[in-house]
Amino acid sequence: MATETGTTTEGAAFGKISRLRGIVFEYLTLAASVFGIASLGVLLGYVFWDAFGLQAADPLWYAAFAVTLVLPLTGFALYGRRNALAGEVALELFSTVMAGVLGGFALVVVLEVIAGSDVWSAYFATVAGPLAGLFVYGRRNEANWVGLAGLGALVVGPVVGTVALDPLTRVGELLGGPGIYFLSLVLPAAAIARYVVGDVLEFGSGDYAALATVVVALVGVPVADQFAAVTRPIWLMFHVALVVPFGIVAAKNLADRDRWIGFAGPLILAGGVALLVTLPEVFGIAGPEPWFDWQYVTANPSRFADQAGLYPAIIGSIFMIVLVALLTLMLGVGAALYLEEYAPSSGPLGAVTRFIRINISNLAGVPSVVYGLLGLAVFANTLRLGFGTVITAAFTLSLLILPIVIISAREAIQSVPDSLRDASYGMGATRWQTVRNVIMPRAIPGILTGTILALGRAIGETAPLIMIGVATTKFSPPGGLFGKMTAMPMQIYTWAGFPSQEFQHGVVAAGVVTLLVVLLTMNSIAILMRNKFEQSDI
Amino acid sequence: MSNEPADMDLTGDRGSQTVREGIYHLVFFICAAVSVLTTIGIVLSLAGPAFGLFGGSGFFQDVSLSEFLLSTDFSPAIKPTVFGVLPLVFGTLLITVGAAAVALPFGLLTAIYLSEYASSRRRAVLKPLLEVLAGVPTVVYGYFALVYVTPILDAVPGIELGTFNALSASLVMGIMIIPMVSSISEDSMSAVPDSLRNASYGLGSTKFDVSTGVVVPSAASGIASSFILAISRAVGETMIVVVAAGQTARFPGSATELLNSFFQSTQTMTSAIVQLGLSDLAGGTTAYRALFAIGLVLFVMTLVLNLVSDVLVRRYQEDYE
Repeated sequence: MATETGTTTEGAAFGKISRLRGIVFEYLTLAASVFGIASLGVLLGYVFWDAFGLQAADPLWYAAFAVTLVLPLTGFALYGRRNALAGEVALELFSTVMAGVLGGFALVVVLEVIAGSDVWSAYFATVAGPLAGLFVYGRRNEANWVGLAGLGALVVGPVVGTVALDPLTRVGELLGGPGIYFLSLVLPAAAIARYVVGDVLEFGSGDYAALATVVVALVGVPVADQFAAVTRPIWLMFHVALVVPFGIVAAKNLADRDRWIGFAGPLILAGGVALLVTLPEVFGIAGPEPWFDWQYVTANPSRFADQAGLYPAIIGSIFMIVLVALLTLMLGVGAALYLEEYAPSSGPLGAVTRFIRINISNLAGVPSVVYGLLGLAVFANTLRLGFGTVITAAFTLSLLILPIVIISAREAIQSVPDSLRDASYGMGATRWQTVRNVIMPRAIPGILTGTILALGRAIGETAPLIMIGVATTKFSPPGGLFGKMTAMPMQIYTWAGFPSQEFQHGVVAAGVVTLLVVLLTMNSIAILMRNKFEQSDI
Repeated sequence: MSNEPADMDLTGDRGSQTVREGIYHLVFFICAAVSVLTTIGIVLSLAGPAFGLFGGSGFFQDVSLSEFLLSTDFSPAIKPTVFGVLPLVFGTLLITVGAAAVALPFGLLTAIYLSEYASSRRRAVLKPLLEVLAGVPTVVYGYFALVYVTPILDAVPGIELGTFNALSASLVMGIMIIPMVSSISEDSMSAVPDSLRNASYGLGSTKFDVSTGVVVPSAASGIASSFILAISRAVGETMIVVVAAGQTARFPGSATELLNSFFQSTQTMTSAIVQLGLSDLAGGTTAYRALFAIGLVLFVMTLVLNLVSDVLVRRYQEDYE
């Protein structure tokens, strides 16, 4: 008897203890998973607190904040959990606006601030125009020489453009800035809108979309003239990058009654922000005193905290990232296509292929500061492209993220089913025809997603920029490819070394918020594209 | 007969087609070759100034190999200059150990949770959030460590921290590399076949026993690979250290000094490269060439770690896939 009771209690105790141990362990692992995220959340909270100067705000302001923004948005988020369509539409609209703003800024920076309309007209006539024309011709007609002609235009165009820069800019001046942008941006945008609305999304007449694009661009001109800050070129660029895409996305979602509810999310956000800005002023409640404001984004750096701004660094970062995007897309896609579609996998050349693959995965693990030394030795000192110039920085960062771009492009190309390849080859298509007609159209969304994520890494890199001699502080944006530049992370690094409280807890925090907003935008575009891609895949 | 389109050429213009395909092949090959050229460029641009391969004096002609490898002093600016790499290697190890002490346990536990316990819904939320940790720019982490983490840690009684210190830099770096450990470890744990888990359950094991006694040992090579990759990342990390850990190269003489060095300013190989780079980039001086000698040591260390990690990853892939 005694032994029996002994064993039962022992057995029960055994079961109890091991269950407790299991539960403790499960919660321990859960806590560990949340630890890093929670730490980052707390630190981000501190940064936003500092950047927006929230300690200056009245408690009543917090109440207004909760009522106008937090409660409605939480409500919408909870609703979005039950109705996935609403959340999806809201994300689509939000990402389009953010991408449009970022794209508009990139256009303004590259075309208006750095190149100028006359230089742009020269290169549009020699590079961008011919390439676009060849692309459209190649889509409509099955002609094998188009790809080669495109390659030729890519090589010859810049040379011709540079040699004939002077006469071409004179022709450009004839049209004037707005005229050039109307021809080179608005008309192509109208053609793209016609194609997207009529052929891709198929929810309306493409001709009306094209007509609307042109008409709104023209009607907007007198409206834009009312605002001193918005010149006609800036209006046309934001029209192309923001208004037209948003119009198409909004029209597409409006066409489907089930998707209307998704508009509530952005409307709540916009309405909440508007209320939050106006209400406290009307009632005389002390609001926050943000460091992160319009003045900060448009002013030059200063040793006085309240006058300091990030403008040259923002321009430098955007210009650099546009160049890096062009370089890595061309090289990365080319390399991935070679490795996946062209490279032999056996024989002596197979060994070369394997070596290239191993080499790429090892390059991804090389510390970024070593890439900085490479840029210093090769681009700055040997090729004499200059210390701290835009072109040196763009080349260095392109090499840095190239392995990541190649790896993600390879994954995207691998995900194209082999049955499609075999079908294409079975029809007698050549390798290039298969790549162009079968593989690229399906792989492009995945490639772009991976590239945008890699660009997010490039825009935050600091160490390589220090090594190639990028200025820690600059008071004007770069003048061209060979102009000296600075970048957002460089400016943050410089300011973080200033001992004063106003810099450490104000100006730097605002810089961090600016950088994070740009990163968040890029990532949400990438996520949106990935979601679309996965949906269309099924 | 005449129904066939006139421009349909079934015989094909073989000659020009072969040439065209050849050109595309060549262009894509050149793109792929850029990555090989990058590697060659890195090796040559590091070894060139270090050994004086391209004419001119090399670093190891100015400074003897024994001074570089054995001297416990690193003072490139104050004469007489001494270029000992040991204090920098010590600083790097110090920071790496601190970062690993955070990242390895938390990353491993995270991987166990994601692979064994989490519902698919929770995993879908947690995994992208963990990726965010690795996506925040490192200069931002450095700023966090300097401006927020150091004062918080300093307020803890019994801890006396300098403005710049190794402790907060390594803690923040540890948080940053958690996702490196967790994602590869989770992949290798998910690759463990369910038959092993079921066999263990059949013998009466609890979930805890299965997770710690079956899954983790079976995924050991993948876990080890993730640890090494994370350590390699910590060795090469620059901006957190530059912003938050200071610029004082030290080499401890005793055990108490070793412990104290966590609370003081320290210098790693990466931050020494940045410090030298900020002072002198035009070339021609020993300090400039020292950049590349230190860079070479850093490159070789991370390359070896990455290769070992690669071998281990392939091992678990061979085991279960």
